Amino acid sequence: MIETGTCTGDSISFDNIWTPTFSDIFSNILDWRYDWSMNQAQGNAAYQVLLDTYSKLPNEYILLVQGSMIHSDSGHYDHVAYEQGKLITGIDLVRRIGLKAKYVVAIGSCATFGGPVSGYPNPTRSTGVQDVLPERRVINVSGCPAHPDWIMGTLLHLALYGEPELEKYGRPKMFYGETIHNRCPRRYYYDQGIFATDIGQKECLYRVGCKGPVTYADCPIRRWNDRLNWPIGCNTPCIGCTEPGYPDLMSPFTVHSPDIPLPGGTKIATDSVALGVLGFTSAAIIGHVAASLYKGRIQRNLLKSTVRGKHRLSLIKVKTFHIYRVKKNAKKE
Amino acid sequence: MKKKKELRKTIFKELQRGNVEGEIILFQPLWVRIFHWGFALSLTGILLSGLELHKPAKFFAVSYGDMFKIHVISSWFALGFVALRCTDAILRRDQSLIPKLRDIKLFPKLLAYYLFLRSAPPPNRKYNIGQRLVYSSWLLLFLIASLLGLSSYWQGEHLIWLWRLVGGFQRLRWIKFMITIYFLATIPLHIYLSMTENLSHLQAMVSGYERKPPPEKS
Ligand code: HEM
Ligand code: SF4
Ligand code: SF4
Repeated sequence: MIETGTCTGDSISFDNIWTPTFSDIFSNILDWRYDWSMNQAQGNAAYQVLLDTYSKLPNEYILLVQGSMIHSDSGHYDHVAYEQGKLITGIDLVRRIGLKAKYVVAIGSCATFGGPVSGYPNPTRSTGVQDVLPERRVINVSGCPAHPDWIMGTLLHLALYGEPELEKYGRPKMFYGETIHNRCPRRYYYDQGIFATDIGQKECLYRVGCKGPVTYADCPIRRWNDRLNWPIGCNTPCIGCTEPGYPDLMSPFTVHSPDIPLPGGTKIATDSVALGVLGFTSAAIIGHVAASLYKGRIQRNLLKSTVRGKHRLSLIKVKTFHIYRVKKNAKKE
Repeated sequence: MKKKKELRKTIFKELQRGNVEGEIILFQPLWVRIFHWGFALSLTGILLSGLELHKPAKFFAVSYGDMFKIHVISSWFALGFVALRCTDAILRRDQSLIPKLRDIKLFPKLLAYYLFLRSAPPPNRKYNIGQRLVYSSWLLLFLIASLLGLSSYWQGEHLIWLWRLVGGFQRLRWIKFMITIYFLATIPLHIYLSMTENLSHLQAMVSGYERKPPPEKS
């Protein structure tokens, strides 16, 4: 595992796995070689493990990457190693190790699509791993953080059966094949049009910005923290953490559409833009009506386009019919 | 009954007897009229249900499943009407909707007319350049929105290239919403101008026929 521009949140998420337990994974299931957060060794001794794996086991190891690829200043915003008196950048190390790996797995939203690190205005020009390894297929395990089951499930699939079936953004279909919305237990509220008006209510959270309809993950059935609960289960909307473009396209988290960034560095809400455009046209039309009436243009146009014929048809009454009939109960009277 | 029929006949005869100055011409063929009103109706359905899908109105407790069906069914109808109009345009070699370069040169003059800087609009063919620009942009945006709609309808199973092109579902929705706003901003303009510029064009969209003004007057 190489960590680049990351908060190490995916490691923290991963060590919450249950079952297999974390210690079981390290001692019995996988040969976990190099990991800043989990290694007992440090410095050169630890780094040497990575270099040994790279030179002695080419095309046999799996490279896990956590964190985004930082491009600014040729990658020098992000140093991950010190080798022969030189600082090694995240991009360089990922490319070097990645080209000889059997599989490359990007873990978390930063490594897959850039994530929060690439958020507006993205001063570090961050991207996902796929952008620096265009010649390889990167398996994306997105999420902020990625669910421990998604990470371990993907690794076990790679070890036991090879590459899992991937969906449109390179994520394993078994975890990211359906939207949150399609499996959400509050879906019947949505279908009936019953919406929560505030976070914390028990109905569908669509109105308060739920991104479930656009987010592909299996949280509703897998849930978090040993399957105890998940966001919608505690009445807060899904924030769409597994999708490309998170968090910019998904924020504000409590609003349906993302804000539009302006050149000055501020942002403006989509709905305000829409209302502004509609307000402007209404004002323009009303102003134009007033001006046209004042100038007499409307009156002139209407007269011009509805000219009468040369002579008008006039109808005269030609004949009047009177129908007489016998009263039915005339005799009685 | 018979009397009424005769009455109608005499009125028609009167009309045909050159009662009207100028000549009566076919201005809007039948297919154009069917397209216009059918499309107007189904597009209204699409736009209103799309807005409701975007942000459920507080005062309106409606089944979302139904709203969704209205949206998709109106879209299929609208696509059908557009297909009719396109087929008709190809068969008649009708280019009245396509903006031409020489028309675009007239655009400033037209704008000047709308801004009261000129008293009369520049000469134009069936539709003026402003109308051509708006109509063709509608056609284009409608097709784009429909394509985006179809790809969200298929949930990323088909049209995957489109998802990748626009950068995900959320942005796809956003584009559709913006297209909706464009429609909502330009449709009132269209209605306003068609009711105040030339009423006989408006009635021609119903009856199909229009009085061609005598040449010496125009
Ligand atoms: C002129 C054409 C169309 C317009 C203007 C339009 C507009 C909209 C709008 C404004 C929304 C709400 C988006 C939001 O969440 O903010 C929407 C949603 C939707 N539309 Fe359309 N639409 C069009 C055509 C279609 C077509 C042809 C289909 C499919 C057959 C379709 C399928 C959908 C679906 C599945 C949704 C809900 C999913 C979502 O939130 O994106 N639309 N549409
Ligand atoms: S809470 Fe979110 S995911 Fe669940 S039904 Fe409502 S919109 Fe869909
Ligand atoms: S519910 Fe949504 S925001 Fe939460 S973890 Fe799942 S995909 Fe991410």
